[in-house]
Amino acid sequence: MSTIALRRRDQIGALSSRSILSLVRQPSLVVPSLIFPLFFVALGTSAFARAINIPGFPEVDSFLDFALAGSVVQGVLFGSVTSATALATDIETGFFDRLLVAPSSRTAILVGRLAGAMVYGLAQTLFFTLVLFPFGLSIQSGVIGLIAMMIGGLFTALAVGALMSAMAIKTGSSEAVQGSFPLIFILLFFSSAFFPRQTMDGVYRRIADINPLSYLVEGFRSLTIDQLTLTAVLQTILIPAAISIIGIGISLRTLRNRLAAS
Amino acid sequence: MSSTTQSPIIARDLVRTFGSGEDEVRAVDGVNLEVTAGEVFGFLGPNGAGKSTTVRILTTLLKPSGGSASVAGFDIVTQADAVRRSIGVALQDAAIDPLMTGTELLRLQAVLYGIPRNSQAERAGELLERVGLSAAGDRRVGTYSGGMRRRLDLALALIHEPTVLFLDEPTTGLDPMSRMSLWEEIRRLNNDGTTVLLTTQYLEEADQLADRVAIIDNGKIVKEGRPEALKTDVGAPTLLISVADHHVESAREVLAQFGEARPTAEGTLGVGLTQGASDVSNVVRALDAQGIAVEHLELRAPSLDDVFAEATGHRLEGAS
Repeated sequence: MSTIALRRRDQIGALSSRSILSLVRQPSLVVPSLIFPLFFVALGTSAFARAINIPGFPEVDSFLDFALAGSVVQGVLFGSVTSATALATDIETGFFDRLLVAPSSRTAILVGRLAGAMVYGLAQTLFFTLVLFPFGLSIQSGVIGLIAMMIGGLFTALAVGALMSAMAIKTGSSEAVQGSFPLIFILLFFSSAFFPRQTMDGVYRRIADINPLSYLVEGFRSLTIDQLTLTAVLQTILIPAAISIIGIGISLRTLRNRLAAS
Repeated sequence: MSSTTQSPIIARDLVRTFGSGEDEVRAVDGVNLEVTAGEVFGFLGPNGAGKSTTVRILTTLLKPSGGSASVAGFDIVTQADAVRRSIGVALQDAAIDPLMTGTELLRLQAVLYGIPRNSQAERAGELLERVGLSAAGDRRVGTYSGGMRRRLDLALALIHEPTVLFLDEPTTGLDPMSRMSLWEEIRRLNNDGTTVLLTTQYLEEADQLADRVAIIDNGKIVKEGRPEALKTDVGAPTLLISVADHHVESAREVLAQFGEARPTAEGTLGVGLTQGASDVSNVVRALDAQGIAVEHLELRAPSLDDVFAEATGHRLEGAS
């Protein structure tokens, strides 16, 4: 590896430790994104227990198996808002300037800030699965499927984090980033996160059909309720990975513009 | 392509605008600067004068709208990364992550500046000792006082032993004791050969530290030189007088006979005594002859504040 690449690797490492550390040292930021999705699962599983008999509903043992994917994606999305908010706070306090004024790689600054969310996304996936196991959750695709889901969780956190970071860099306001929270909630509701697309109708169905979150959730869901398939693994990992690349591109571009225009 | 003969900081016709059309603001409006090696250069001006914007341009955080500048021999736009490698920067308000400890921040900074892993801990320890924070190194920065944060900020800026140091209002908001200890540290660094550009809104700070001072107002440098020379240029000492409100106008007329009016804080009249201090008694007699009672009288030797007032027509930091 060249010296520059080595330095970038070290910088990503050091900045990642910082972002992970900041999550660990502020548990109050983390806890809600662990509890809310579980609350949704509990609610759904008791309220919609018989929904699985509706024609068009995928074949599952219980609503719980169906609900896991939605709650994982929901939890990871919320976690990513936290990490983009942290970036906006860095901009507000001026810490971001400290990083920019150092001979540091711009990609390292961005990816380092999102690393906390990535590790957290992976941990969340594992956490939800482990907590729900005693309540009868089963992962049909086995250990490999679970690992694929964890990697998918990691990339989902990076993808959403990167897109939200563009907003953080553009506005430099943690309020603006947090204000987008309901928007994400709406996007999630207009997807197949809580109900299968097959049971939807009209406008609702049409929106869910074009909502990328539907396809992301369905990848996770297929790994939970179906036997392991390559398609499901790729869907779970590649969709968020592709969005990550686009998101990082947009964020870096926003960063360049910020230096010229702010 | 750093050359040893070139001055470490050179700015030519630097311009920075914000907004466009009628809303356009020229925050920096044609600034020319040359700071020579080993100098402490003070950049003096009120809030919003363009000090910080100039520093942000010179430290590559902002692109100039016009003009050019080089720092440590590198162009700030085309060789920004080389500039970043050569300079130490402590920005206004010491932005420090409160969740991290002093040692953690120094080690992060060491990685950013490419300091080899095996010497990071040692360097962090040295710097903490240098700024007197050894005992607080393992405490989270959130528990530090304002003065401690500024000292840590300075230590962070020194991690790679830069030859050029930018300090943006290093002591704003600090108590006198903390201010003095930071001044001492800046002098020590300068004695070791570091070139320092510092911005300040404190005249005393510029007077104490700077070899040369530039006064900036509305984005333009209005005066530049050694503090002593600038003060001598202003020449006459300032006589400050307070009188009852209804006497202000007539007192102003009387004072005009003794020299030029000097800007002062509200409720006070100021005059630069052309004949020097010996004229004070004549002023008092002349006022007395008009039946104007003097409530307060003060004679002040020329200060940087007078230089500032003469150059800009208004006073800094509400000084009278």
